[in-house]
Amino acid sequence: MKTLNDLREFYLKTLRPDLQILEGRRREIIKKLAFIGVPSLVILALSLAYVLINELKVWYVLVPFFFLLFIFFIAYYFLTRKFIVDFKGIVIQRIVGFIDEKLRYRQDGYITVPEFKESKIFKHRIDRYKGDDLVWGKLGATVIKFSEVHAEYKTESRDSKGNKQTHWHTIFKGLFYMADFNKHIIGETVVLPDTAERLFGRLGKKLQSLNKPRGHLIHLEDPEFEKNFAVYGDDQVQARYILSTSLMKRIMDFKKKTDKDIYLSFRGTKVYIAIRFTKDLFEPKIFRTLLDFKVIQEYFEDLTLAYAIVEDLNLNTRIWGKR
Amino acid sequence: MLIVIIVVLVIIVLIPILMYNSLVGKKNQVENVFATIDALLKKRYDLIPNLVETVKTYMKHEKSLLTDITELRAKATSGQLSDNDRIAVENKMTKALGGIMVAVENYPDLKANQNFLQLQGSMNEIEEQISAARRAYNATVTIYNNAIEMFPTNIMASMMNYKRKNVFEIPEEERKNVDVGKMFKS
Repeated sequence: MKTLNDLREFYLKTLRPDLQILEGRRREIIKKLAFIGVPSLVILALSLAYVLINELKVWYVLVPFFFLLFIFFIAYYFLTRKFIVDFKGIVIQRIVGFIDEKLRYRQDGYITVPEFKESKIFKHRIDRYKGDDLVWGKLGATVIKFSEVHAEYKTESRDSKGNKQTHWHTIFKGLFYMADFNKHIIGETVVLPDTAERLFGRLGKKLQSLNKPRGHLIHLEDPEFEKNFAVYGDDQVQARYILSTSLMKRIMDFKKKTDKDIYLSFRGTKVYIAIRFTKDLFEPKIFRTLLDFKVIQEYFEDLTLAYAIVEDLNLNTRIWGKR
Repeated sequence: MLIVIIVVLVIIVLIPILMYNSLVGKKNQVENVFATIDALLKKRYDLIPNLVETVKTYMKHEKSLLTDITELRAKATSGQLSDNDRIAVENKMTKALGGIMVAVENYPDLKANQNFLQLQGSMNEIEEQISAARRAYNATVTIYNNAIEMFPTNIMASMMNYKRKNVFEIPEEERKNVDVGKMFKS
């Protein structure tokens, strides 16, 4: 597994020249945005002055405001579109290859909806599903695949004027992994963060969500694990076969390391892991310099989580009859 | 007023029924998991003749170990042991099997043998399953024991003559078994 020092070397020798070119382009983009932004602000200020002087209703100024905002967003989108694609193609691609040359990356690939649903971690109906930054390959004996996923459902309501309003709610946003599990799995076992499940449990009964009931709640012996996770499964013995005392401890340590909400499910031949992130991952920061090592470090750390999963959860130990 | 009396009567009748059923359910769950352990132990026994055959030709110096295992197996499957004796035999079996796996380290030919590797995988899987079943048994027994000893179900339990059950003591060798993986990693 590559260390930070390896990364630093890689950064200086290989990445930096490309980063400098990209940085140049980024600055160009900023200049162009300023070219649109500054006059916009001036126009806005003038409009505000005009409105105030002529004692018109103040909200008149919102018209030019939204118009200019719209123009700004259009410009932002078109200016950054190619830049983001090139950035990912160069920087993220290289970092993935650096972590392990057997790993492949596709910017517009993602874990598919059937695969996401197969895990049975999130049972809510999905109305909108986005994903990108797919990475896949074999680490040791374990085939692993992951991508960013953003799954949402909508609720509709009528406001006071009788207009239909759509509200979007996030089911899951973050990194979603699928990996070969190192034991034969019988039935299904799901491990959920304890607080989230309790919340869904009550809401699920009240709301008319499509939350089908889960299997039995299984209480395991590791007290720290029990405090942080709720385990559902259809068979007590199988759940314990999968969640050995050592794996429970490993999952707990992994959770502490990442300091995020983690969801796991064991089904078929695979283990599915969902790690909740609030930020967008692997996107270039338009308004920050690319030449900061910390930026590269952040991408690296988010990408090596996959490696950490295989190592920390000991998925390469294949002594139980499954190769 | 009549309604109040009816409601009180219903409650007085219902509560014992609920307690009775709950205790029976818990007792049955314990027996259920014990049956699972039994089934897994039988699976383990079925693997042993194969293991002895595969290993016999290579491990010429380990004859006594192999004889021990065969004898233990015969004893365990004879069906004439009390529960406690069975547990004792099981623990001896675990120890003997562990001994063989350690001895295998000295026979590189055997370690590379495909048959053996497959067997080893199956044995590890069974051991892990047995361990899981034991843990499930302990959890179920604890729920049962809690129900028998805690108020108010303890009253009903003593009326039903339900006795406390023992949890499976996992012998020290077993706990080390889970780390057998480390031995094979090298």
